[in-house]
Amino acid sequence: MAEIRFILNGAETVVNEDPTMRLLDVLRDLMGLTGAKEGCGEGECGACSVLVDHDIVNSCIMPLGNAAGRDIMTIEEFSKTERYNVISRAYEDAGAVQCGFCIPGMIIATESLLNKNPHPSEIEIRDGLSGNLCRCTGYNMIVKAIQLAAERGDGLW
Amino acid sequence: MSDISKSIPKSDSAGKIAGETIYIGDMVLDDMLHAMTLRSVHAKARIKSIRLPEMPEGYFIVDHRDIPGDNCVNIIFDDMPVFADGKVNYIGEPILLAAGPKRKKVKEIIDSIEVEYEPSEPVFGYSKSVVHHEFEKGDAASVFCKAERIIKGSYSTGYQEHIYMEPQGVIGLYEDNKTTVIGSMQCPYYIKNAVVRTLGTGQENVRVIQAATGGAFGGKEEFPSLMGCQAAVAANKTGKPIKLIYERTEDIETTTKRHPSRIDFEAAAGEDGSIEALRVRVFLDSGAYIGLSGVVLQRAMIAASGVYTISNLSVSGDVYETNTVPNGAFRGFGAPQMFFAIEMFIHHFAIETGQDPLALRKRHLASMGDPTSTGGTFRDPIIMGDMIQKAIDMSGYDEKIAEYSKPGDHRGIGMSWVLHGCGFTGSGEQKHIKAVVRLRKEKDDMVTILAANTEMGQGAMTTLRKIAAGVLGIPIEKVIYNNPDTDLVPDSGPTVASRTVMIVGGLIARAARQLKEKWVPGKEILVEERYRQPDYIEWDEDKLRGDAYPAYSWGVNVVEVEVSPVTYEVDLKGIWAVYDIGKAIDERIIIGQAEGGLSQGISYGMTEVMECREGRIQQRNMTDYIIPTAGDCIPMEIVIMDNPYPLGPYGAKGAGELPLVGGAPAVALAIENAIGKRIDRIPATPEYIMELMENG
Amino acid sequence: MVRSYIPKSYGEALDILSKGDLTIMAGGTDLMVKKRNRAGLLPSFQKDVLFLSGIKELSYINKENSSVRIGSMTTLEEILYSKQIPSLLREAAAIMASPGIRHTATLGGNIGNASPAGDTLPVLYLYNAMIIIESKRQTREVPIEEFITGPGRTTFGPGELIKEIVLEEAKFNVLYYKKIGGRKTDAISKVSFAAGAFARNGIVEDIRMAFGAVSPRVARDRGIEDSIKGTPAAGILDLAEEIRNGYGNIINPIDDQRSNAKYRKKCCMNMIDDFLGKVFAEQ
Repeated sequence: MAEIRFILNGAETVVNEDPTMRLLDVLRDLMGLTGAKEGCGEGECGACSVLVDHDIVNSCIMPLGNAAGRDIMTIEEFSKTERYNVISRAYEDAGAVQCGFCIPGMIIATESLLNKNPHPSEIEIRDGLSGNLCRCTGYNMIVKAIQLAAERGDGLW
Repeated sequence: MSDISKSIPKSDSAGKIAGETIYIGDMVLDDMLHAMTLRSVHAKARIKSIRLPEMPEGYFIVDHRDIPGDNCVNIIFDDMPVFADGKVNYIGEPILLAAGPKRKKVKEIIDSIEVEYEPSEPVFGYSKSVVHHEFEKGDAASVFCKAERIIKGSYSTGYQEHIYMEPQGVIGLYEDNKTTVIGSMQCPYYIKNAVVRTLGTGQENVRVIQAATGGAFGGKEEFPSLMGCQAAVAANKTGKPIKLIYERTEDIETTTKRHPSRIDFEAAAGEDGSIEALRVRVFLDSGAYIGLSGVVLQRAMIAASGVYTISNLSVSGDVYETNTVPNGAFRGFGAPQMFFAIEMFIHHFAIETGQDPLALRKRHLASMGDPTSTGGTFRDPIIMGDMIQKAIDMSGYDEKIAEYSKPGDHRGIGMSWVLHGCGFTGSGEQKHIKAVVRLRKEKDDMVTILAANTEMGQGAMTTLRKIAAGVLGIPIEKVIYNNPDTDLVPDSGPTVASRTVMIVGGLIARAARQLKEKWVPGKEILVEERYRQPDYIEWDEDKLRGDAYPAYSWGVNVVEVEVSPVTYEVDLKGIWAVYDIGKAIDERIIIGQAEGGLSQGISYGMTEVMECREGRIQQRNMTDYIIPTAGDCIPMEIVIMDNPYPLGPYGAKGAGELPLVGGAPAVALAIENAIGKRIDRIPATPEYIMELMENG
Repeated sequence: MVRSYIPKSYGEALDILSKGDLTIMAGGTDLMVKKRNRAGLLPSFQKDVLFLSGIKELSYINKENSSVRIGSMTTLEEILYSKQIPSLLREAAAIMASPGIRHTATLGGNIGNASPAGDTLPVLYLYNAMIIIESKRQTREVPIEEFITGPGRTTFGPGELIKEIVLEEAKFNVLYYKKIGGRKTDAISKVSFAAGAFARNGIVEDIRMAFGAVSPRVARDRGIEDSIKGTPAAGILDLAEEIRNGYGNIINPIDDQRSNAKYRKKCCMNMIDDFLGKVFAEQ
């Protein structure tokens, strides 16, 4: 056990747990933040994605110890932002959401991508999504959603 | 009124995007116990003894001895136990559950259980037939007797794993003499009927509620009945909520998959080059229990002549039991295997008989009024001619196939033609399902659709609400569709077989018309509709004779590829498709189904490798079982035709499965065109392509 | 129960390491998968764990004269976007993994992990990477070929840590990198191949080739390379068979759940030809 301090969704947070605990378990089991999902548990599917220092990270393979001193944002907090409003509307308008299990992770991937690259090319979008698997859509509508978001949110990123 | 096809926002999107939608794994109930499964490590064995550790307070073991009713998962065949009793038939077969408040302790208990097995010789391959069907059309035997030339082909297909993003999971509860199962599922009433039987209790004592379902594709058709029964038995025994959520590796290794198959053809070539008679033999590997395999076999067999009219047809097929994980429903349900095989075979037949494949295919293409493979009739207009031309024009098929067929060119293009029988095979709806839907109008004039069909991403909630609102002429916001709860909704049947819009949506449209007639503002009104089979349908379930389906959806798929001569990897270069699904209730939802389905079909044909060795699945996680990423997929051009089916709501037919069915043959034909070598199995992996290119 | 240490400085990390046998956690993207238990359960570590992610001192990319020094905790994402890093390594980082993995996985971790399929390794071999290893007592420099001794095996001694990786500048005018996985991105390699050559005035002055995932360690043979150096680029295709045979002897791929030996070997041979063809074209 150790005291690990980090920022979680804007708030200073202290967790007294084993540092090898998976960040995903910290979020879901200790904090009740269930927006990040477990799809594979080995960093393949991206359903567990969260922002760490505003970059996308797979929380299922990030140990709590590596979260020390970092700034962690989950979909629960990101969904309060203006950027989220643009992204979520674009996902709806593009029809990008089917079963939804991958979608919170996709939103995180979208934010991480646009934050670095506000006007990504189609190839850059596909690379930005390469760690977020979707089995329903074939991805094209998600790519379209990100293009829409980038266009409509011009200046936000 | 605006066209029903015009897209509207999906009812369920906002919550899913925000991460607020609660899936089964997200649910936490007071006093809940976590359950884990102890599984067989042998493909076939007798269980001699099970030694349990000393159980700490509050921890439980649940096994076959705790089952009050039948130790049998109610599917079609009564061969699959809820918990193994004295013997196991595949690696991963569930033996018992351990449950308790702390997952760590539960895991320790599972790890410390000692099972003594007496292994015996397992059965693999196509040797032990457990279901056999056959049917004839015309007189194939005498054509073959006189045939001058007989062309043969044999095709095989591998497993396909659903990889719904959300692994399987249920919660079982027991309160006041009532058992409730909440979970990720397609068919609440399948689970209810299974739990009633396993508990040996009355219908009134079991309730099933669908949780938000993170993808299914058939994988949550019959399988959740097993987990539902286990969780129900455990909840009854312990009196506490039981949460049973699969790990991904557990899900991949032990849940149902698409059946591996082998399909053999023999065709008698007529003097004019046509196929005078076709003999087809289907082999399906069911795994350890039959489950739905017999019905999957029927759908495969009925599709034996593809979209073609062949006058003399002899079809036989068997389901073979093996000591491997049971296979089951998967989008397409036997049709993807057969359409891969028949599309390749007709192509190969043409080449061997020195004909242009496209011309031969066009010559045999079914038209309205033609007899179906089972001697029924294609009653509705078939617009494949237009669709094919459209696909050819969009893709530049004619020019490309000529250019790419030159030696040394590693580009290729392939086109598949498919149909999909909508709804249950034969009289399934009438005899077995007997769907009922209700609409309930409240005093505030809000209308709730009462049906058991599930939203699993395919858009059922939005589509069904649209149908009701459209017929009633009220705004969509006035129509409610909740996740089904068997205590509140009648049994409108399972969410399978591309039946939800055509059959259930059709009933909802009828109910809405009834409600509209009775409509009085401010008054509570309840209306009900029951399924009635169209009068013209005649089906002999034993002989597989007559109209196998009330209607058919049709598709043309074109895939263009480039194969690397260095690494044999396949690059997708273009994807085009044209579908006739009657009428799109919501165009964007249909495009979503089309793109997602076709993408699954293409990767079934070229990417997704799953092997079973000595009864053990080799690709056991998402690192090893590869599905496409966004970087593997490319934009698609999809056209949805308007060809309304008179008995479907707004003319709609089935759409969910159709796009998957033609993906594999289109990409396989494209690869064949690229490398100039005949492909007779899928997935057409780089390893296989290397063998073909290097060894001829 | 294992103990965890989260040092704030490099010195502190070496101190902790000097006192015991620890599992070193860099980004954790591989280790956390290997030690995975079940959802909601702690990973199964047997030894005490040292977390390095808090040590900013180990995250840097510095160009010095004719070499690039990369701190062991530099992430793949940082490598991907650094103009000081040779393009082949950046390409390897890009193809290797998804953004989520790239943001946490480190170069030091990829080396310490010593997987035969580690995607940066063939490129590091190509650039004659030196691994700078430190303990409280000493610093040593080991060529990567000597550092990695087998699958998951290295010459790590007690108390040691990878401090940095030094890439020697290399002059190439032909560069070649291919990773073959089960899909285009984010897959474990079936085979990977990195190669570079420098031809001037029609003469091959330098040529290097390294193969990943086809033998217990990355396969690079300096003897074969030396035998090519100095030959005319125009004649390089005549040497192809000999080169292929040479590598054929040291490449021993396996059959597994991702591919088979025959395919892996055949791809290596084809890539040699493809690469030599590019060298030939450069003359």
